[in-house]
Amino acid sequence: MSPVPLIQVRELVKDFDGQRVLAGVNLDIMEGGIKVVMGPSGCGKSTLLRCLNRLVEPTSGTIHLRGQLVTGAGVDVRALRQGIGFVFQQFALYRHLTVLDNVSLALRKLRGMRRLEAEQKAMYELARLDMAAHRDKYPGQISGGQKQRVALARALAMDPAVVVMDEPTSALDPLLTREVAQLIQRLHGEKVTLLCVTHDVLLARSITEQVVFLDRGVVRAEGSIEHLSSAHPDALIRDFFGRESGA
Amino acid sequence: MTGGWPAFCRDLLEQFPLIFTGLVQTLRLTAIISLTGLLGGIVVLYLTLSRSPIVRRLTQAYISFFIGMPLIVLLFLLYYGLPQWGIRLSPFVVAVVGFTLNVAAYNAAYLTSAYNGLEQTELEAGRAQGFSHRQVFALLTLPQVLRMSVPALTNQVILNLKDSTLAFLIQYTEFFARIQELASTNFQFFKAYALAALVYLLLVSAIVLAARAVEKRVIIPGLLG
Ligand SMILES: Nc1ncnc2c1ncn2[C@@H]1O[C@H](COP(=O)(O)OP(=O)(O)O)[C@@H](O)[C@H]1O
Ligand SMILES: [Mg+2]
Repeated sequence: MSPVPLIQVRELVKDFDGQRVLAGVNLDIMEGGIKVVMGPSGCGKSTLLRCLNRLVEPTSGTIHLRGQLVTGAGVDVRALRQGIGFVFQQFALYRHLTVLDNVSLALRKLRGMRRLEAEQKAMYELARLDMAAHRDKYPGQISGGQKQRVALARALAMDPAVVVMDEPTSALDPLLTREVAQLIQRLHGEKVTLLCVTHDVLLARSITEQVVFLDRGVVRAEGSIEHLSSAHPDALIRDFFGRESGA
Repeated sequence: MTGGWPAFCRDLLEQFPLIFTGLVQTLRLTAIISLTGLLGGIVVLYLTLSRSPIVRRLTQAYISFFIGMPLIVLLFLLYYGLPQWGIRLSPFVVAVVGFTLNVAAYNAAYLTSAYNGLEQTELEAGRAQGFSHRQVFALLTLPQVLRMSVPALTNQVILNLKDSTLAFLIQYTEFFARIQELASTNFQFFKAYALAALVYLLLVSAIVLAARAVEKRVIIPGLLG
């Protein structure tokens, strides 16, 4: 009776040179949902995200997107990637291109849109993120927070099934944390499916109460931050969520 | 030494058409090898980034081999050596082929070192968007690498101009060959070579000015060089 998740990760394992980084991760992301995955540095959060669009090849396990297997041979990896909007930790804007070209490039080169059409779509996404006025600037001419918005616009322009964000606050001034959370919530309100990984408890709290805790390559706990910080039997988990959540 | 002006000027005027043709030959060779050397360098860079280790290995070998080989040896090998195998090439063809092999290797080395300075996550972002290996190269890697390499690449154009005098040694009658002829008609060596020096200096200055203009146009706003 329960609806099929948009993304279904099952027993995902990733070894790097014999070192097990992901040790059987299970994760569901519902259409229109928002998922926050937390965990200490080095627990495999970025690796998990990279497996979704196969920037990293999983060692074993499966990932389904809309019921279709996207791991293993015979998958059109480039098509898969076009359907996953990836926002990198350092935003990774193309520095030789203007803000507008950053957002419209893939529309033109991958979707085959003409320049005018692509730029209209790009401007729509930029306006949605309050970046329209900066269309002709270069990445080197805008702030970190603005770069993040451009990176989001670039991801959203392709109408992805899911937007994936890797540590959205780590490259920004801590004062911006709440703003980033508001932005993410707004996108959630606009029915964008979101997956966000972070080790920032404050950010997680400002986005959503329900989180997944990843540690040593597996999902150790899942639930509300409230519960995880006070009532979880594992003291390490209580500690992790208790650190900044009292504020 | 200080005299001999009338004879020098007379011979210069007389031989001016030939000297001018020589200059045109020099500029033609320089322009062609600068272009083929750049295109070759780009191709070699692309191969350097190949996903096949064998291709990468071979490309590295190509670069080391032609950077290590003195140009004059290469030119002599092609011009005087190949005929012994029945392959006879014109001085112009030998010059273009020899210089291109050499210049492409140098340019590839410059472009590769610029590539190493790129932000790798930008290229990864390209892959994450779904761009193919070739698209990442053409849309993201190359535009940045070329911009960063303008100084090195223009230096190479200057070297090409100066090295084009070597073509004289494989019977390609370019500017310096004509100057040589001029000098040997009246033995005013100093005047003839000083004239040559002046002309090369002017040409190099023109290249430098052009390069500055190019650099100004392709600079990426907001990036500190
Ligand atoms: N490409 C790689 N090659 C080898 N080891 C890697 C690679 N990527 C990540 N790792 C290792 O995997 C572990 C998890 O890394 P990562 O997924 O980046 O963690 P997180 O994002 O949670 O900080 C780390 O120990 C890291 O050194
Ligand atoms: Mg990480």
